[in-house]
Amino acid sequence: MGTSAAYIVSRRIVETTAECGISLVASLPDGWITNLIEHYVDDRRFRHVAVNREESAIGLCSGAFFSGIGTFSLMGASGFLTCIYALTKINYTYQIPLLIGITLRGRPGDGAKFHQSNALYLERVMQSIDIPFVPIECADDIPRVATAYRHSRTLSRPVVVGFTREVLRGEA
Amino acid sequence: MNFESCFRLLAERLKDEIIVTSAGNCSELWWEITGESERVFYLEASMSLAPLFAAGIALGTTRTVVALNGDGAFCMNPGTLMVERQLALPNLKHFVVSNRVYGSTNDLSHPFGDLTDYAAMARASGVKRVYDFSTIEGLGQGLDEMICDPGHAFGVLHVEPLGRHPRAPGIDGPELKFRFGRYLEQSGGPTIFDVPLKKS
Repeated sequence: MGTSAAYIVSRRIVETTAECGISLVASLPDGWITNLIEHYVDDRRFRHVAVNREESAIGLCSGAFFSGIGTFSLMGASGFLTCIYALTKINYTYQIPLLIGITLRGRPGDGAKFHQSNALYLERVMQSIDIPFVPIECADDIPRVATAYRHSRTLSRPVVVGFTREVLRGEA
Repeated sequence: MNFESCFRLLAERLKDEIIVTSAGNCSELWWEITGESERVFYLEASMSLAPLFAAGIALGTTRTVVALNGDGAFCMNPGTLMVERQLALPNLKHFVVSNRVYGSTNDLSHPFGDLTDYAAMARASGVKRVYDFSTIEGLGQGLDEMICDPGHAFGVLHVEPLGRHPRAPGIDGPELKFRFGRYLEQSGGPTIFDVPLKKS
């Protein structure tokens, strides 16, 4: 398991976020990112905070901007959709940057019927609030996580990186 | 206790702390009493997240950070207590201002404060230092211990409804961000912005 493709991908994502200065990760799990979250929990370069709901990650990480700490809010697609109020009210009103990582639930290949609302609305909701979205669809895309982090700071707004199941499994 | 007297006492005694106020009466009244625009973040634009926003700030400083959270906001997301407990930040102090109404929406009443013991909720969440203040005298006596003794603390301020709707802080979001952030930077805090100001 230690050298599985999924393990290697999680390590690459963790290294990429560490290299761009992220040291606080607030997360709520989705089955696709359990492995990734465990890497953050075990890595002493990060303070990992398990939040009670996804909005709390937005609040905590937004406040931590004023600590000079690089942050990463990590969650599932459905959890992200519950954050629209917090994002538009906090991060848009005060122009606070934030990197958010989500699962791209509902894409073709996701067999979970209860995630098909994400197939229909996830990307359209992101478009409707003009939040920049960077899909991570293969391992070669992982460096774009760092680009997205820097773009968030330049833009003074949140930026979303979305991971496909295939990339998280190390299959793409 | 009287809401305004309570906040006047807090404003008189909390001179060095970093303050985060939640939407509605907490922001409005603190602004009306103090007019402060640097060490205070008026988080008017989101309900329920003031204590965790304050926790994020507290991660980067040894100064005490005080969150003044309305009870309407608290009831939207009381699970923040569990996250606060997990963080156990010694410099985070969270007050719930229990006026049992939605102050920013014409004092429409809600039943939660009469039915639910917020202090007991905090204890049940594992918060060790919990305070319950119902009188100005009691607040005056217990405030220093809650604020100055190290350790995450949670306090309930039982106040009467304000009965009026003060003006909101007249500061646009980005201006508030820069005023607050530059204040933290210039008062010995961490570097926040990518481009530092040149010293004059």
